[in-house]
Amino acid sequence: MSTPARKRLMRDFKRLQQDPPAGISGAPYDNNIMLWNAVIFGPDDTPWDGGTFKLTLQFTEDYPNKPPTVRFISRMFHPNIYADGSICLDILQNQWSPIYDVAAILTSIQSLLCDPNPNSPANSEAARLFSENKREYNRKVREIVEQSWTAD
Amino acid sequence: MQQQSAIQAEEAEKIPFVGDKEPLSSLAAEYKAGGSPVLLEKIKILSEQYAAIRRTRGDGNCFFRSFMFAYLEHILESQDRAEVDRVRANVEECRRTLQKLGYPEFTFEDFFALFLEQLESVIQGSEASISDEELVKRSRDQSVSDYVVMFFRFVTSGEIRKRSEFFEPFILGLTSASVEQFCKSAVEPMGEESDHVHITALSDALGVPIRVVYLDRSSCDNGSVSVNHHDFTPVAGNNNSGGSEAVNPFITLLYRPGHYDILYPK
Repeated sequence: MSTPARKRLMRDFKRLQQDPPAGISGAPYDNNIMLWNAVIFGPDDTPWDGGTFKLTLQFTEDYPNKPPTVRFISRMFHPNIYADGSICLDILQNQWSPIYDVAAILTSIQSLLCDPNPNSPANSEAARLFSENKREYNRKVREIVEQSWTAD
Repeated sequence: MQQQSAIQAEEAEKIPFVGDKEPLSSLAAEYKAGGSPVLLEKIKILSEQYAAIRRTRGDGNCFFRSFMFAYLEHILESQDRAEVDRVRANVEECRRTLQKLGYPEFTFEDFFALFLEQLESVIQGSEASISDEELVKRSRDQSVSDYVVMFFRFVTSGEIRKRSEFFEPFILGLTSASVEQFCKSAVEPMGEESDHVHITALSDALGVPIRVVYLDRSSCDNGSVSVNHHDFTPVAGNNNSGGSEAVNPFITLLYRPGHYDILYPK
């Protein structure tokens, strides 16, 4: 059945195919428009450069009035990403608005990678290193980048 | 944060998005036990001019929800086809505004379509026409009600961004945010409360005057009590407002710090 959420997600998909922002890709999983797989490529000239990070986006029938649940499948080391891969990002929580589509969500997460918000740490170790020991932080990020090539 | 929103959600569930029309005496009843004498005095003054109140849920969308119901109910009762045509032209202008601002059409078109559908349904004589009862029902149905609220948020945000130079000083008076940040964080997300900036922008964009009656503890220095109100009058020349003659708002909202409900004049 075609519900408002499903119709909207078809349009999100069409936009992502026709006009894909640099460094992200995403598509519905098999024939399930409510569950998406996505990949974010680590931005060039940053410690994240070369990483391919996998995510899932789970939508409900409340979309686009409610945000999807977005989680990294790849292991991450980032001040705003929890151990289970869930992401602490305002637009995925209380600052959500239907003006965001899948492309906008993924673009926002991509910019969060290099621009963490140390004030709301989900990973306190990553937050501490980010502000106190950037060298060690960058080394840990490079490790994660390398792991992203081998993990499935 | 999550706990806070859970508590809010629980509290909000106790009142439907849009309540039943209640006699104004129910407002006084709220303050009977230990209410401030100033408030009781003001409610007495209100009851001379207003007959009833319709409460809305305190979920941060109460201004937009009150406006939605009051506007559609006005059209349903007045069957003012000229007003519908006028507002429809302004809605199309809002659509062009959002397009020019670079919003992808597919992110807002469903919200526009749903509002126009509601507008059409309150005018009698078509197959889709609805009763007052059905309007209440739809306003309590999240899949309709939240879409219309979001439609107003789009319209409000578009108007503020379009006239950002005009709105900027007022926004700076509320927060230290830029116009862009303000729209992204205080207008476009559901559940963000409305202030005079939102009301001005919505009233201007749609060309609909709004009266807001203030019920708070303020009183004059000499101890006399009066009830203040402010009329938000659409700026002349902006869109298709009904001209520059003194307009009598057909939408009256009651503001108590942090919340809006609908008032019905006698």
